Amino acid sequence: MATAETWQPAPSLPPPRIETGWIGWARANLFGNWLSGLVTVVTVPLIVWAAWRMLGWLFGTADWTLIASRPQQYLIGLYPTELAWRPLTGWLLVSILFGMAAAMWGGAARRIAIGYGAVTVLLGVLPYGLFHEGVVMPWWVRAFILGNLLTLGIGYLLGMNPKTGRPRNFVLGGIAIYVLLLLILIGIPGVPGMEEVAPRRWGGLMLNLILAVSGIFFAFPIGVLLALGRRSNLPVVKVLCVVFIEVFRGVPLITLLFMSQVLVPLALPANFPVDSVTRAAIVITLFSAAYTAENIRGGLQGLHPGQAEAARALGLPGWQVTTLIQLPQAIRNVIPAIVGQFIALFKDTSLVYIVGMLDILEMGRSIVQGNVQFTDNGRENLIFVAAVFWIFTYTMSYVSRRIERNLGVGRR
Amino acid sequence: MATEAAVTAQEALDQDNIIVARDVHKWFGNFHALRGVTTTVGRGEVVVVIGPSGSGKSTFIRTVNRLEQHQQGDIFVDGVEMTDDVRNIDAIRREVGMVFQSFNLFPHLTVMRNITLAPTKVRKTPMDEAEASALKLLERVGIPEQAEKYPGELSGGQQQRVAIARALAMNPKIMLFDEPTSALDPEMIKEVLEVMKELAASHQMTIVAITHELGFAREVADRIVMFDEGQIVEDLPPDEFFNNPRHERVRRFLSQIL
Ligand SMILES: Nc1ncnc2c1ncn2[C@@H]1O[C@H](COP(=O)(O)OP(=O)(O)OP(=O)(O)O)[C@@H](O)[C@H]1O
Ligand SMILES: [Mg+2]
Repeated sequence: MATAETWQPAPSLPPPRIETGWIGWARANLFGNWLSGLVTVVTVPLIVWAAWRMLGWLFGTADWTLIASRPQQYLIGLYPTELAWRPLTGWLLVSILFGMAAAMWGGAARRIAIGYGAVTVLLGVLPYGLFHEGVVMPWWVRAFILGNLLTLGIGYLLGMNPKTGRPRNFVLGGIAIYVLLLLILIGIPGVPGMEEVAPRRWGGLMLNLILAVSGIFFAFPIGVLLALGRRSNLPVVKVLCVVFIEVFRGVPLITLLFMSQVLVPLALPANFPVDSVTRAAIVITLFSAAYTAENIRGGLQGLHPGQAEAARALGLPGWQVTTLIQLPQAIRNVIPAIVGQFIALFKDTSLVYIVGMLDILEMGRSIVQGNVQFTDNGRENLIFVAAVFWIFTYTMSYVSRRIERNLGVGRR
Repeated sequence: MATEAAVTAQEALDQDNIIVARDVHKWFGNFHALRGVTTTVGRGEVVVVIGPSGSGKSTFIRTVNRLEQHQQGDIFVDGVEMTDDVRNIDAIRREVGMVFQSFNLFPHLTVMRNITLAPTKVRKTPMDEAEASALKLLERVGIPEQAEKYPGELSGGQQQRVAIARALAMNPKIMLFDEPTSALDPEMIKEVLEVMKELAASHQMTIVAITHELGFAREVADRIVMFDEGQIVEDLPPDEFFNNPRHERVRRFLSQIL
């Protein structure tokens, strides 16, 4: 042996080739064994047949005149036509937030903003009247709708500017726009053009969105407080929170909504200025807060006890251990559950038909029932409403998945 | 150092003793985990604690910063008695750093933020100052280039070194280590022990470390304290501890872990 043999690592080889292309995929996934082959052979023709019929109906038989002739009702319900510029103005404000988000977070936020902008343009150039039913869309309505591109752009610039494009400003701006929007919709007594429009007359998709956003907006912080209260060492606080959570989780939302109309007034002075919509919104919010609280409590319980110990050992006072160490981790771990909860909340806003509100679903139903020419178009109405709901809920779960992914990378 | 003899009140106030424990008892339910622990630790002393599993080592050092409450006896840390008084506890925790077996870094914060969190929130150190000293600490533990990563992106040895830096950032007078290397792969144990040795050699702080790294104990400890069944069975300088222990129990234990 002249020299010691030098050790050579084995070369790194590419992975073995698997069959690619759709034939390979089908062989692996659809005909992997005789059972899956059988399932494939039976179900695929069924699916194709059903899809064929469905598509045939969607693009052949179905008559979408109903949707095309009543967009205003679907969007804002019975909000007075001559005051439609007010919801349109609110819409302009909301676009600022989409623009800001796109600039600040990029990725998913940008894709959503692009989709949002595209839909806006589409609505703005539609041949028929989005507002002022039966009339060709007046130029000023088109201007309002296309104006969203402008405010989207303004938001984008605000988001790009390092001075204004901060998460804090986004949140504060969001709150300001939320308050302003409600003010614009309700009106200011005595100001011309700003006549009061009671929330009872709000409707359509606008109502679903306002109820959902209000619900999420308040349910989250209330849920956090309830979750912390339930873990509190103070017996009174703890018992109150447990009772609240269990009552609101134990009773169906429909029941709570009825109660809000019938029972709550008994507990309030006769002319207490809370209208039925606000009461419904409060009930939906509290219902959602109870579920959010349980989600967050689950997240807190899932944390390693060493986290709080390490924080306490560093001398952090109890409330900072909670707010800086435990809550951020707990909330992050339950984002999917919370988003699921908010999706449920958005869908549940349809239940306000119980208190006589014309949300998008109920609005559609009453268009179908109230117009002889549309009595056969119930299906088209339902499919349209379902699609609208789906677009919003799918966007929410898409955002949730992106957030999860971004937070998950190497940070556990 | 007085171990078997009861510590007198005088000793408690003695400026040379930074930790004084007198007849400390602790129960978990009916389980008597600490059964009369009496010991003192002098300023700048390096004490290694060993003993079989379940003997109460962790429980004892956790009573020093009150992660566990004792139910009988007295503990003084830097002249302050450990009671339920929250101000005392917070004051002591600022002076006592702790390093855990499972690191317990905050996974949602960067390495830098892990280190600067307590100084900025508890001591109100300005952020730029805190970051500058955090960088120095990261250099001291040998990983200045990892500052902007998240804990999950580091190896176990690196995480434990960050945890040491995080504790040091509060400028503690005492550092407690609870088996800092026993969750680490062999090749990472050394890098953590090096950091601990450097700390011990600097003689700037009091160190109480639970560890079964006997080489480390032999090299840097002033005393080795052995726990068994919730009591201290032996308390001697390393030489005597290994060569001439007074209790047969020590020999039996050493033969088990060697
Ligand atoms: N929170 C607790 N609740 C109940 N029993 C506990 C608790 N913490 C510790 N004990 C018990 O107290 C005893 C002493 O535990 P301790 O953790 O102090 O042991 P240790 O000497 O550190 O052991 P190890 O080497 O395994 O870490 C053990 O029997 C343990 O089961
Ligand atoms: Mg232990």
